[in-house]
Amino acid sequence: MDFFESLKMAAKTLTANRLRSGLTMLGIVIGNASVIMMVGVGEGAQEYVSEQIEGLGPNVLFVVPGSQETQRATFNVPKTLVLEDAEAIAEQVASVDEVAPEFNDRGLITRGNRTSNATIVGTTPGFTAVRNFTVQQGRFFGDLDMRRSNPVVVLGPDLAERLMDNRDPIGQQIRIKNVSFQVIGVLDEKGSNLGLNYDDAIIIPISTMSNRLVGRTSPYGIELTYISVSVADEEQMDAAQFQIANLLRLRHKIVGEDDFTINSQQDLLEVTGTITNALTIMLAAIAGISLLVGGIGIMNIMLVSVRERTQEIGLRKAIGASQQDILMQFMIEAVILSAAGGLIGTGLGISGALLIGVVSPFQPGVSVAAAAVAVVVSGGIGLFFGVVPARQAAKLDPIVALRSA
Amino acid sequence: MGSNPATIIRLEQVSKIYGSGNTEVRALFDVSLVVTAGEYCAIMGPSGSGKSTAMNIIGCLDRPTSGAYYLDNVDVAGLNDSELAHIRNRKIGFVFQQFHLLPQLSAIENVMLPMIYAGVSIQERQERAADALKRVGLGNRLNNRPNQLSGGQQQRVAIARAIVNQPVLLLADEPTGALDSHTTQEVMAIFAELNASGMTVVMVTHEADVARLSQRIVWFRDGEVLHNNLSPDALSEVTVPS
Repeated sequence: MDFFESLKMAAKTLTANRLRSGLTMLGIVIGNASVIMMVGVGEGAQEYVSEQIEGLGPNVLFVVPGSQETQRATFNVPKTLVLEDAEAIAEQVASVDEVAPEFNDRGLITRGNRTSNATIVGTTPGFTAVRNFTVQQGRFFGDLDMRRSNPVVVLGPDLAERLMDNRDPIGQQIRIKNVSFQVIGVLDEKGSNLGLNYDDAIIIPISTMSNRLVGRTSPYGIELTYISVSVADEEQMDAAQFQIANLLRLRHKIVGEDDFTINSQQDLLEVTGTITNALTIMLAAIAGISLLVGGIGIMNIMLVSVRERTQEIGLRKAIGASQQDILMQFMIEAVILSAAGGLIGTGLGISGALLIGVVSPFQPGVSVAAAAVAVVVSGGIGLFFGVVPARQAAKLDPIVALRSA
Repeated sequence: MGSNPATIIRLEQVSKIYGSGNTEVRALFDVSLVVTAGEYCAIMGPSGSGKSTAMNIIGCLDRPTSGAYYLDNVDVAGLNDSELAHIRNRKIGFVFQQFHLLPQLSAIENVMLPMIYAGVSIQERQERAADALKRVGLGNRLNNRPNQLSGGQQQRVAIARAIVNQPVLLLADEPTGALDSHTTQEVMAIFAELNASGMTVVMVTHEADVARLSQRIVWFRDGEVLHNNLSPDALSEVTVPS
């Protein structure tokens, strides 16, 4: 019997029992849709994170407190960096262009009867150069503000909008933790960056922060959340990294393990790449399990179907179907079920991924290759899980099959 | 062998034994039987007499444990599964008690089924299936599903399916067992007509009225042939345990 006839016969059998065929397919549909959606989400997240990191610029180094070990082991990173470390880097490492130490805190901001909870960033005038920020209105604070610990702030654009009610923000007084500040500038919009949205933050001189807000002026230093450093020449990234590390080791009198870590954009990309990759694989694996379960569902229903259709199988054998014909018929039915389920699932998965793109900040990737692989794999699942029932059908003794009531 | 070319069925000392040792069951023992072309032969006997086993061997659904079976002068004992399937497809037409029509297919599609396995083209299939259905008087019921047909009509569709590949042997297993007396007449008339046009018919039945319409009765008992060539007229003389 030729293949086309088998195909027509299988299609006829499957459409004769639409509800069952549909339900049998459902497992594969869901499995396939979730594989495509999860891989898409994973890829989208990966791209989103990479974009954010690349937005930092290729010539920036981040010095963060704590060794890589302690960072991995605990959320409670020891505060080992102080403002003097940042000043030393700026003065003593020749390859360094600008240094922007940051101390981040959260607090209540009020203007009149408006209040907002926002991130307070204490930093130095070098911040704009290192982190590539520009001011859309007014000015950024300068060295004089730093030295005098002036109560001046630069607002992120979103926060400015929320606090100011369409009023010119420059010159307005606001209160941070009940200390009065004057707004001198508003940043340009930049979007969130490494989990911190500067559009919704308030930037003040780090000296003002420690003297007036946090109260951590001490002869032993002002603690920092991290230091970002821009290197004058991209070629000198390695040299700068080496020199900064050595300087800090000297300053911290380190003989054993470093109590700080220096990351470049490349390092961060590698680390997050590993994490998001693992995440994608995990998501795909979970979704893959549901695909497998769908395959088992097909096998289950096919086995029931062989039982129910023993008379049909017996008759087909009596009128001339060989074992191979019967095997073929049931295999084709299984493959049609799973491949059709795979196609429908792919369609659903792609629409689901697009939907996620609409409601989330990142765009899930929808790769044609992944879709093609998913359809082929689900067809293969039908082939694999169809073998057992189809063999059972083919091996049926026609005499017994015909006599079964 | 130099056998008569008109011989359709020749069983030579055929035995069929199920199981082994203490649980051994001899369903058939040393059965020899010859049916020539154009014969209309009824196989009778009480249940457990081996007539069904003989039927299965004649129909190439089962192989004998020992002995030789020639169908249309072909030794079928040594054939493998797909060769037997081919023989069943081309040389034998089956009619069953329960009709065994596929419910999802129309009458003409059911009749076309054996030709699909024979690899006949779609046009020829349709023509031959329609012809076969006309021959059994169902030319106006081509597209009805089995559940839209009466029992007698369903059995006629099954007969059309059996003859559509022009077999050398029409094998019927209790073809009227599920029919009332009126439709039994109808179906038997078709068998008579087919036999009159040269078709060899072998029919297993336990109904004396049905067997009487044949030319020859083979009587089985305890796995052996008790009467090889009983005249239908002599049927009343043997005790018929039904």
